[in-house]
Amino acid sequence: MNIVPNRGAKISVKNGFRGTILEFLRNSLEKGCFDGILIPMRVPADDSYAWVLVRDKPFLDNANPIAPIVSVQGAKALTSLTRKGGGNFNVAAIMKPCDIRASIELSKLKQVNLEKITLISYDCPGTLEMSNYIENPEESEKIFGSLLDGDVWDDKFTKPICQICDNFSFPACDLHFALLGTENGSIYLIPGTEKGENILDDLGIEYSEDLSNWEKKVIELIKKKEKQKAEKFELVKPTVEGFDNLLKTFANCIGCHNCQSACPICYCRQCYFDSEVSKPNSDFILLRTSKRGGISFPLDRIMFHTGRMSHMSLSCVSCGVCTDACPVSIPVADIFSYVADKTQRTFEYKAGNSTEEPLPMREYRFDELLEIKELVKDADGQD
Amino acid sequence: MEREFLPKIVSFLCKWCSYTGADLAGINRLQYPTSILPIKVMCSSRVDPVFVIKAYLRGADGVLIGGCHPGDCHYQDGNYHTRRRVAILKRVFELLGLEEGRIRLSWISASEGPKFARVCNEFTEVIKSLGENTTKTTIFL
Ligand code: SF4
Ligand code: SF4
Ligand code: FES
Repeated sequence: MNIVPNRGAKISVKNGFRGTILEFLRNSLEKGCFDGILIPMRVPADDSYAWVLVRDKPFLDNANPIAPIVSVQGAKALTSLTRKGGGNFNVAAIMKPCDIRASIELSKLKQVNLEKITLISYDCPGTLEMSNYIENPEESEKIFGSLLDGDVWDDKFTKPICQICDNFSFPACDLHFALLGTENGSIYLIPGTEKGENILDDLGIEYSEDLSNWEKKVIELIKKKEKQKAEKFELVKPTVEGFDNLLKTFANCIGCHNCQSACPICYCRQCYFDSEVSKPNSDFILLRTSKRGGISFPLDRIMFHTGRMSHMSLSCVSCGVCTDACPVSIPVADIFSYVADKTQRTFEYKAGNSTEEPLPMREYRFDELLEIKELVKDADGQD
Repeated sequence: MEREFLPKIVSFLCKWCSYTGADLAGINRLQYPTSILPIKVMCSSRVDPVFVIKAYLRGADGVLIGGCHPGDCHYQDGNYHTRRRVAILKRVFELLGLEEGRIRLSWISASEGPKFARVCNEFTEVIKSLGENTTKTTIFL
């Protein structure tokens, strides 16, 4: 949770959380608050969800604001929608907190334009493992449904990265649906920005002051997740610490770069690792065998992963799509999340937390970083 | 008889300060080891972390990045950005248990020929004590 909000609108639940959110979206479309809504919808084959920009109200009947899986990161969809600018249409994007966080990072990186976008979020129960869902969609829908309806959100069927996510509630969005800990068949709709407040005003929705039940539940769950995260990081550490362990962990990597192309933060249109300059000619490859006696293919996998860590970990939002995308089941997201946690701490930065905090690589302080061991020798300018 | 280990230190030196400092060291006939392999860059901030990673994984025993002193960068604040980048790179190395000590960032001005020689001597000694970079004998990477 970013900042603790002090007021929200009470909304009574009809047809479950999803039905309630859909009803709100229908109303806001009807009243002209938005011209379109970006929302997950089940694909015709029924075995996955895709982002769909809905303009006609009836289509919302097939949409699912709290989808058990979405194969593409929400920020990617927003990039496609707004990369050429904000346009003239108001669009509401209803997305998981990690999608919102990535969108915020991308807006700072000038890849997403949020001017005409209303970001709507909800307390996220986590998402399911993509492979499990594809194997048995109906069973997975049931599991997810009962998870969402349950009193305590049991995360044992969710993705590993969701199990350690302590950012599941109230990201820096315009409107947030508070689902946890709410009683008497009602939930709260909390405005996070002026844009959000205006929408509530337009729809004539009244505020209620007391969010304490929700707050209590959220804080409880954050504590649980923090604990799970610390435990997970302890497990990740020995798998990447030390050159040999790193090699072992990425030994099966087929160098497909799927993790990078699925990652919302890796936005570069031409990645160095996919470029021709990164591909040496045969003579040069043979030279590289001179001390080694041989060299394995695909080339430069460790360079790719460590390079990506140093390029983008400051903006990694731990969304997990890299793990979903990996054909050889390397827990890429666990590793990147572990690294990102530490690199972001260096600058007391939290990716996606707010639109105001500048990207660490865009600024500097005159007098900093002297504490990092041996970083700048002779920083005092002696000699 | 075993030959003494002479490290290879890939050195990215900014054109305006450190590279000129290196030139000055040469003009003044100062002694520094042949371990230094200088590469001229326009500014220390031109050094993408991937340059360093690439050098390291292809077997460089050390990587030196030389830039102007804070406040003196020809492009005003390039070196402040360099400092942040190198900090993250070192953090990543540390987390992965790689030898971050093989990476060094130094500020060397155009007039600091003696300092350039000293940094080269010192860093070479540090690398000698670390020994050869094992990545140069690794097949699977
Ligand atoms: S590295 Fe993985 S977890 Fe991090 S933002 Fe990219 S896809 Fe998400
Ligand atoms: S998706 Fe998996 S196999 Fe492909 S490059 Fe990434 S880690 Fe390697
Ligand atoms: S020009 Fe020397 S560090 Fe920028």
